[in-house]
Amino acid sequence: MTSKPLRVVHYLNQFFGGLGGEEQAHRGPQIIDGPMGPGRVIQSRLAEKGEVVATAVCGDDYVGEKMEAAADEIVQLIRRYDPDIVIAGPAFEAGRYGVACGAVCKKVQETLGIPAVTGMYGENPGVDLFHKDVYIVQTGDSVKTMNEAITKMVNLAMKRVAGHKIGKPAEDGYFPRGILVNEKSERSGAERVVTMLLDKLNGRPFEPEVLQPTHYPVSPAPRIKDMGSATIALVTDGGLVPAGNPDGIESKNATRFGGYGFKGIDCLAADDYDVNHSGYATVFARQNPNRLIPVDAMREIERERGIGKLHERFYSTTGVATRLEMSRKMGQAIAAELKSEGVSGAILTST
Amino acid sequence: MRLELNVVHITKVQFAGVTAVRNGVLSVNRQELRALVKKDTRLTDVDIELANPGDQCRIVNVADVIEPRARTANSGPDFPGAVGMQGTAGHGSTCVLRGAAVLINDYDIGGRRYQRPDEGIIDMWGPGAEIGPYGRTCNVIVLALPADGTSIDDYCVALKIAGLKTAVYLAKAGADLAPDQVEIYDIPSIRETAADMPELPRVTYIFQVFTNQRVPLPGDSVLYGHHIEKIVPTILHPNEVFDGAVMDPYRGYAATYLIQNHPMIKELYQNHGKHLYFVGVIISNAPNNAPEYERTANVAANLAKWILGADGAVLTKIGGGAPELTMARTAQRCEELGIKTALALMHQGIDASEITLKASTIFSNVPQVDAMVSMGASTASPMLTLPPAEKVVGALDGSRIGVEIRRPASDIKGSFSQLGDSRLVAVRY
Repeated sequence: MTSKPLRVVHYLNQFFGGLGGEEQAHRGPQIIDGPMGPGRVIQSRLAEKGEVVATAVCGDDYVGEKMEAAADEIVQLIRRYDPDIVIAGPAFEAGRYGVACGAVCKKVQETLGIPAVTGMYGENPGVDLFHKDVYIVQTGDSVKTMNEAITKMVNLAMKRVAGHKIGKPAEDGYFPRGILVNEKSERSGAERVVTMLLDKLNGRPFEPEVLQPTHYPVSPAPRIKDMGSATIALVTDGGLVPAGNPDGIESKNATRFGGYGFKGIDCLAADDYDVNHSGYATVFARQNPNRLIPVDAMREIERERGIGKLHERFYSTTGVATRLEMSRKMGQAIAAELKSEGVSGAILTST
Repeated sequence: MRLELNVVHITKVQFAGVTAVRNGVLSVNRQELRALVKKDTRLTDVDIELANPGDQCRIVNVADVIEPRARTANSGPDFPGAVGMQGTAGHGSTCVLRGAAVLINDYDIGGRRYQRPDEGIIDMWGPGAEIGPYGRTCNVIVLALPADGTSIDDYCVALKIAGLKTAVYLAKAGADLAPDQVEIYDIPSIRETAADMPELPRVTYIFQVFTNQRVPLPGDSVLYGHHIEKIVPTILHPNEVFDGAVMDPYRGYAATYLIQNHPMIKELYQNHGKHLYFVGVIISNAPNNAPEYERTANVAANLAKWILGADGAVLTKIGGGAPELTMARTAQRCEELGIKTALALMHQGIDASEITLKASTIFSNVPQVDAMVSMGASTASPMLTLPPAEKVVGALDGSRIGVEIRRPASDIKGSFSQLGDSRLVAVRY
């Protein structure tokens, strides 16, 4: 079966697009017919299967300064060529270029409803920003790897346009997109782990299936100098919610948190609260919510002037099998609210 | 210790006048079995239901699954300490009705106390039966309510014993038959085996049975009739573990059935004498605080090193995050003593936004603990649409759960397993 050749629009920055170096980084978007620079390599890989019908070029600073608007301008230029797919870069290690490629690809997908593919080196900030939205092929750090990078990008682009199933990141050479899937293995966990142990015992190489986690360091806030005038808040991941769970916080793998006021209350009443948490026996916290959010004890300390004031609003979510990035996100949001409410310190209780 | 499992294959279960096994069909005298269960005065409204693979039947609130097994004459008591007198499991011979299972069902009474209600779903047909192992067994379901004056805790204990008794009662019907298959599990004392296979690496399995994330059910039979919530790691012969000494804690993360068919122990047995020498199982709990899990890790690693003389250890966990810490620390202590380790885990807390090619997990970095096998991630559990059922067993209000429901796959009993039979691998895309 012969199919119509693909119409490809290629995106380049000022340097690869031939406008010039750093001094041209402010230049706005333009588009010209046909391939140029790295686009010629794309054209040779596509051969008769497709045609690079146009090349959009824009300065990196121009995109960097007003990313949304610039990406939109570029997409409007691309739209005129009615492409089947957009290929951007590769940007290798160039940070601003990588971010621009990511932003253009994302906008193309959103606005034109067609796939887009780009390529970058792992350290490029564009990977961090756009890997969830855009297929980013993993490249080397310099133009020396241009041919190899473009081969992978074109292969992935062809697959995407054809609607073929995209392989695993390692197979198709792109950065994982934040999607986790439980796949079926030919062999049970027991078979695989015993084999792995025997390999390790016999000094043979083995391939772990689970990686050590990357923990991002959290630098502690400076200590509170005068507790007598400090406002202290209570925060928990133990799943304490007002009766009826008004915010619908999940019992595991939570994506939401809530802030709940207790103005003028000296002791949380069991009837007013519920515990929605599938990771521990919640009986005791249900019987007495102060075991989780110790309002009773904090009020006592408040009366004794051990702290300036108890913040009359506690924050709560459910910490069970919660994804790290979600924990970070919720933690940042809770911290921001506490800060805007003038809280000077927080006590976190976990289960 | 040598054990013969006399396996009788069951392909169908039905009610009949006499409890018997014939041509793979398990017939059950409903009245007789009800009367047996009713002997325990802590239970009332006892009933027995059956479900065969393919039936459009949904069973919910399943608290445990037990494989029907009975010890043959002179082999010792059944489920020592729980059903029978104290004794030793794992030697002699045991009749197994393979393909059959006893389910105990605590409506939502135990659920309210020990877990969320309506977890532990078994569908006998459709997508639920495809992902859960107990939709493919011929099931005998024991239903009962607490008698007046019986606490929920006592009710749960009684129900589990009722399930175990039922398992024995059914398997006795197959005990006099010629088995379809005989499986032999034989590992002599370390002294004899060590002389036989000096060149093979000595491997132990460190098996977490209970996590102290959960409140233990007082009086629950987990090891020879007692709970293990305060256990110091101890060594068992592999045969004891799967022949009735160890049971899943009430509404635990595994199922007694799974321990009776322990996938990791089976795998180590298959390699025993060929690639390794299986020196025994170390069982432990997973404490919920640092001093206790440090203690558990040290004692388990010391047993492996100084008592069993292990060169290698495989480890599994039961439950979520705290058990993962205990497992990792135990593996670390083993590695420090020169014992190589490999871990198989259902991992969680994964940072999906990371761009590494493989999924990680949450426990702290221990460089030596580098051999980890994925048994799936609960956060990657897909939502399943389960079609309406013709019949619902085990819910106070069947109409609510008998309709089409949408649930995470992990709500299907046995769909995630931490003991080694899982074929799931968490993969990033």
